[in-house]
Amino acid sequence: MPINLTTSDNETFTVDKKVAEKSVLIKNMLEDVGESDQAIPLPNVTASVLKKVLEWCEHHKDDPAPPENEDKDDTRKRTTDISEWDQKFIAVDQEMLFEIILAANYLDIKALLDVGCKTVANMIKGKTPEEIRKLFNIVNDFTPEEEAQIKKENEWAEDR
Amino acid sequence: MDKWTALEPVKLYDKATKATSTAASVISRFAQNQPSRATYIGPLPPELHLLILEHLPLYDLPAVARSSRALSRLVRDEKLWELKWLALKVEKFGLQEVLSELQNEEEQKPPPPRPNHFIVEEESDLALFSVGGDDDFGDFTEAPPTQSTTGTATATFGQFVTTFNTVALDNKSAVPYITAFPSHHTYRSKFIKAHRALAALLPKVVTPAELALSHLFPSPSKALYRGRILHLLALFLSPAIEPTRIWSAQREALSAAIEKFNAGLVSAFDGAEENRDDEGMKEAAWASWEVWNGSGEWELGKTWMEKRDVFYDSDRWDPLRNLTNNSLDLDPMVVFMTNTMESVRKEGALAIRIFPPSADILLAFTRRVATDVIAEYITPLLERSKEISTATYLKATPATFKQAWRMVDDIMEVAQGPTSKGHARKNSFADHSQKSSMANGKPAEPVITRTQAEDVIFRMFEMFMDDYLTEELSSTKKALDASCNEWDRKVATHTGLVSPNAPNFLASKNPAQVKRNVLASFADVLLLPVQVAATGGTAVAKGISKLNPQQWSDKSKMEANGYRTPLEDKDDPNVFDLTIEDADEPQDVEVHPSPIPPHIANVSRSSLAPSRSRPQSRSGTPAPGSRSPTPMPSSFDRLELLLSLDVALELIHAVRDSLARVQTFQAYPGSFGYRVRDTIEQLFVLLLQAMGDRHICPAFEKATEQMKMYKPDEHEITTSVAPLLQFFELVHLADTIQSMVQVFFDKELASHIDRTDFMNDVIREKKRFENALDDAVATGMNAGTEVLMNQVEHIIWSRTGPREYYPPENAPLELGPTQGCREAIQCLEMHCKLLKGSTSKEVLEVFYQEVGIRLHAIIQKHLKRQIVSLEGGFQVIADLNAYYNFIASLRVQQITQDFSNLKMLGHVFIVSDAKDLAQIVRDVTRYGGSFRPEDVYEFIQRRADWKKIEKTVDKTMYNLSFKEDCIIA
Repeated sequence: MPINLTTSDNETFTVDKKVAEKSVLIKNMLEDVGESDQAIPLPNVTASVLKKVLEWCEHHKDDPAPPENEDKDDTRKRTTDISEWDQKFIAVDQEMLFEIILAANYLDIKALLDVGCKTVANMIKGKTPEEIRKLFNIVNDFTPEEEAQIKKENEWAEDR
Repeated sequence: MDKWTALEPVKLYDKATKATSTAASVISRFAQNQPSRATYIGPLPPELHLLILEHLPLYDLPAVARSSRALSRLVRDEKLWELKWLALKVEKFGLQEVLSELQNEEEQKPPPPRPNHFIVEEESDLALFSVGGDDDFGDFTEAPPTQSTTGTATATFGQFVTTFNTVALDNKSAVPYITAFPSHHTYRSKFIKAHRALAALLPKVVTPAELALSHLFPSPSKALYRGRILHLLALFLSPAIEPTRIWSAQREALSAAIEKFNAGLVSAFDGAEENRDDEGMKEAAWASWEVWNGSGEWELGKTWMEKRDVFYDSDRWDPLRNLTNNSLDLDPMVVFMTNTMESVRKEGALAIRIFPPSADILLAFTRRVATDVIAEYITPLLERSKEISTATYLKATPATFKQAWRMVDDIMEVAQGPTSKGHARKNSFADHSQKSSMANGKPAEPVITRTQAEDVIFRMFEMFMDDYLTEELSSTKKALDASCNEWDRKVATHTGLVSPNAPNFLASKNPAQVKRNVLASFADVLLLPVQVAATGGTAVAKGISKLNPQQWSDKSKMEANGYRTPLEDKDDPNVFDLTIEDADEPQDVEVHPSPIPPHIANVSRSSLAPSRSRPQSRSGTPAPGSRSPTPMPSSFDRLELLLSLDVALELIHAVRDSLARVQTFQAYPGSFGYRVRDTIEQLFVLLLQAMGDRHICPAFEKATEQMKMYKPDEHEITTSVAPLLQFFELVHLADTIQSMVQVFFDKELASHIDRTDFMNDVIREKKRFENALDDAVATGMNAGTEVLMNQVEHIIWSRTGPREYYPPENAPLELGPTQGCREAIQCLEMHCKLLKGSTSKEVLEVFYQEVGIRLHAIIQKHLKRQIVSLEGGFQVIADLNAYYNFIASLRVQQITQDFSNLKMLGHVFIVSDAKDLAQIVRDVTRYGGSFRPEDVYEFIQRRADWKKIEKTVDKTMYNLSFKEDCIIA
């Protein structure tokens, strides 16, 4: 059954139900509302982002559902553990990367959100505070004293 | 569209309405009624930042914290630190003790050179900044634990947020950052403590491994303590934490050190083993278990197991000795098992003493004993037994399984014994699982559950099951076929058929009683356990000898003399309610409440009832003339021998043996469990098929055919129809067999299947069997009725003299039934009685009714062939009365009515006046509607004086004469 999705900029996408249901948000909506040929509005997602997200969903539509309550001991993947396809997929400009993360969070697509977060984490790795500010486009709002304090507070975790 | 509007999120980042699973716990904190983007840190909301942080290595966190206030706040988030703390698995592996020790050691060292005190600023925004007080990592013990749980901590945080809001509004500056909780019991503080202690050890983890070990443990310490520290370090240097940039290199170095350490433990263990130093072994084992990383096999345990003597003993035991002289005698296996179990017990007890319970060494060890020792022993045994004979193989398999099963109890004994005793003093060694079970105050669980122990044997034996089950089915099938074929052959050649001791139902005055005896003894035999575990080779044979029909006769004789108490004792309602039900017909009344007179038993034994002849005596009768040259008559004699209780018993017994064998395995779990249950059902289905399709149905077919060939005029004897008589015997036999099957079903199979499940194969097959039997009886009965009535007709015709109803004028009038009538009734009476108790009431009723209807027709036909005088009319009435009385005794409403009507018909022969006669003929109500005037008219034509009265009768009846007819014509 095809599902229609309408983006915030009023573009409509038609996808297979199976693809759309990678999003838990959409899946729950469909369960609540039942079958309908009306388009599902996604006011938080723009067409360009949704296109990208759906591309990911299409590629992963046959993935097995992740087991519930999995033991975090062993299944916690490291930042480098992104599949090759996902790595290529996520190789986009920063703005798009953040948009994808936001959309994945909003649409509740856990696996895609993980890919996004891992990618950002990889970007942070080894960066100085200033570089991190730049990455997120934030300003240093510390007073010098605060900054010193924070530095001390976290000094223990630094790799000496 | 309005359908959807309700679901539309109100605001893009209004978290309160979209608490998604990904960041649920964080959301509430940020779910303030602020403009959505206000809480964003750069492009992302805080909860997503937190997710990103979770993927960051530890050493990258300080840089993030220093980038902005908001991010520094996130770096303090408890959720993040909970993950890190849990990654250390301190609680999971019970490493808290060792960690505290390490931390204490660390405290005693001089504080690191760098300044370690935070300066708490007392100004402006920072008033709220209370980083766990002065967080000197050294003296946390002094700080009072104000909040001990995360729960309250969060509550505090909640309150704080409220305050924070008001403050935030006053403040022109950016969002002020805040600190975590002023408690040392947060995950963060716990992790910081652990990190501090463990990070201090990291520089010591270097290559080569010897160096690392001596650096790590400069002073002599217990192996277990060292093992735990290494374990902690291994957990610390994990991808979930990544404490340093070179963590993977350090991890490799650590692995090498652990390997080295473990090698030392293995040799220490060996040394201790040689010196029989349990404590030394235990220490080495526990330490080694501590550092084992869970991949592959645990080397120390594996080597220990491999060295057990029990695996190298196989030469001492020759499995083929169980099969000396080609017969199965498992005594050697019993000895083997006893010896093996002794070593398992010994080694198992040792294993429990020296190995940590979580290592499951005992289970692994018993598994190995099962596969490497016991299965190795069983395999050649079964192979050889297969070579000897299928029967031996089939016996050997369950027998060996039973032997192997003994191991379960032994394992349980080992598993339960020392653990409970040694629990208290094991404190120092107690691993986590034990600790928790003690803390809960529960009784110590055995190291191995019973299910696990059983599983060991089940798994080991699985390799033999497939072959066995297939073989069991096919061999049972063959055995059943063989029995049936043998019987068919005997029937065909007429040899060996005479079994004078077989119970004879018809000969007994009370067939139901004989049947009861048979069934009771059958049930008794079923109750006897079949000895599967044949430790002595003869045991299996017992069952068969018990099931010998000869013994039944003996038994019934004994009961006749003795007596009756045994039977009554066994009058277990379970047996009889189910088995005799259909045999208990109205003649229940007739069942002697007193003991059966002894002669019955004798009669049933010699089975020479006056009413019928034994085959032997008959064949001895020199009556070549009366006998047709075909062999038919002689095979009539043996009609009842088409069916044999012996064969039925043989079949049941074959299946019962198989069932008993297969039932050994009925506890099997999993897919083999299904197969075992399926095999049990299949076996019963096979029995039903053999019994029904191969034995009973052909017998009935043959009997029916032979009955159809019976020609009454070929036989001298008039009172009994030999084939029908024997057919009745056949019905009795079949009924008994069916009851036996029912008893068998109730006793052996009912526990395996759901009786109410009408889709079940067994239930369906049983239904089919019963239906087939009913059909066969019905068909036979049909043919039998035909034969019987032919006989009756024959009797009436041949025994009625030409002037029976037209006696000479001066002959003395005897007012009794004629000879033909008497003989016919006698014949009928006998056959009707014989059937009582062998078939259901319905069948009997149908039979009687059929008999009545046909008799009715025969009598009419017969009357119409006679010439009846007025005097003879009384004779007719006498006969009709006799017939009526007979029919009335059958108690079938409809035919009784017919015969009473027929009786009235007799009156037309004794009315002398023609006009009166005409009146009677026309009075339809006299005959209850059975006869129309035209029918009666036919009868009066048979009157001797018909010619004289014809005209008057016609005239009176139809008000016309021939003359008038002519005129009109």
